[in-house]
Amino acid sequence: MDREQIRDSLVEASGMPKDVLLKAAVITVTGNFEICIGNYRGITEYTDSLVRVQARNGQIRVEGSRLTVRYYTTDEMKITGKVEAIRFENGRDEL
Amino acid sequence: MIRYMKGYVKIRTEGFSPERFINMCSLNGIYIWGLVPSRNGYEMYLELRGLKKIRPLAKKTHSRIVISERKGLPFFIYRQRRRKLFYAGILMCAVLLKVYSLFIWDIHFEGNVKWPDETLAEFLRGEDVAPLMLKDRVDCQGIVKNIRKEYNDIVWVSASLEGNRLNIRVKENDDSYPEEAAENAEAVKAADLVASSDGVVTDIVTRSGVPQVHEGDAVEKGDILVRGSIEVKNDAGETVGYQYCRADADVYADTELTYEAAHSLTDVGKVYDGKEKQMFYIRAGKIRISAGSTENTYPHWDMTGKERTLKLGENVYLPLCFGTRKVRSFSYREVRVSAEEARKSLSEEFQRFCTDLEEKGIQIRGNNVKINLSADSAKAQGTIWLNEPITEEADTEIITVEREETDEPVGTDD
Repeated sequence: MDREQIRDSLVEASGMPKDVLLKAAVITVTGNFEICIGNYRGITEYTDSLVRVQARNGQIRVEGSRLTVRYYTTDEMKITGKVEAIRFENGRDEL
Repeated sequence: MIRYMKGYVKIRTEGFSPERFINMCSLNGIYIWGLVPSRNGYEMYLELRGLKKIRPLAKKTHSRIVISERKGLPFFIYRQRRRKLFYAGILMCAVLLKVYSLFIWDIHFEGNVKWPDETLAEFLRGEDVAPLMLKDRVDCQGIVKNIRKEYNDIVWVSASLEGNRLNIRVKENDDSYPEEAAENAEAVKAADLVASSDGVVTDIVTRSGVPQVHEGDAVEKGDILVRGSIEVKNDAGETVGYQYCRADADVYADTELTYEAAHSLTDVGKVYDGKEKQMFYIRAGKIRISAGSTENTYPHWDMTGKERTLKLGENVYLPLCFGTRKVRSFSYREVRVSAEEARKSLSEEFQRFCTDLEEKGIQIRGNNVKINLSADSAKAQGTIWLNEPITEEADTEIITVEREETDEPVGTDD
């Protein structure tokens, strides 16, 4: 059993929400026009066709067209526009 | 709305790493919205509070910040700082409107015929209800009650507030007029009718009283025509007392009237020479502000003036008058009236006199009025024969009968 598996089973056993314990990003997608991202660190790139958000365990790439950041706070951000793809990347490798 | 109240700005950030600047902002608890990429940077909206915090962040991230729009109330006020008086005026206007709406400005009466507006207004003033009183203090029920109590012949009253006007609608009892007339008649009991001028009686119709004249009788001024005292006689035919009444009759008589009118053929008339001065003024109490002057050096002049008092609604007079005065210069000049003009004017005057008589119900039987012209005057004279009512009321003589049985005027003597 490697480290990640041990961590997952511990979290499972504690009964606490995973996003709190693992500090994982929470992404809420509404249709293909609105995405809310919480638990992130910051924006690394933002154009109207690509928004890259840095999370604890890597990067989240939101691809699409006419993308706009509606609001941006410490806890949550909202992106609207035509969303075509959401990808998870290992941010460290790319950076 | 809250954003507008607090004020917000649109900024553009450019530089080496604008993303870092944005992340720093959110880490420092600065709320960002409307984030859009623009050229090599980003545009975003910030709260005014946040704007104060970003200077060190911009320095740290080597970003250049340009404020492109300023929105919200704080900026609006800042821009309007030179127009303080304008806004003070608006505020003042609103306050005054509110204050004015607290008062009654006018009292309007409706449906009153017998009691004029002024009388009712005077009565209400006595009850402390007058224009310029506070609206809250108007007690419509009380007003209705008081009016009903004071005026018996007002059978229905309604008082209502309509904006800043107190409407009072009344309904008067129309039947009360004859009653009152009858009361008055009783009050002036016992009256004779006497002749108001000399003449020959042509017609007599007696409604009450004892007629003293017949048709064809010649009467002189002051003669009793109808007596207001009626004899009460006993069985023996002796007068035992008198009953008194108000004599009432139509007595027509042929009378004569001497008519005389004269006109001078020379007349002194005013001739205005066109020189005039005018003054316009506004007056509040004794203080008068005027434009122009009426001071002059004319040998003869007359002054005409018009003045009006400003009023609100129907009954609220403001202590502010405005008017004009005009001084016109003239000279006296003797004017010769032609004989024809004098004749015409005299004849018109006579016609007018006759029309007046006819309007009074006097019948004109004929006249021999002639116009005589002399060197410097024109005269109309003659007699007009009329047929007119000649009755005139006079107090009747109270006759006391020297008998003991006056209490029982119809008693029998054994």
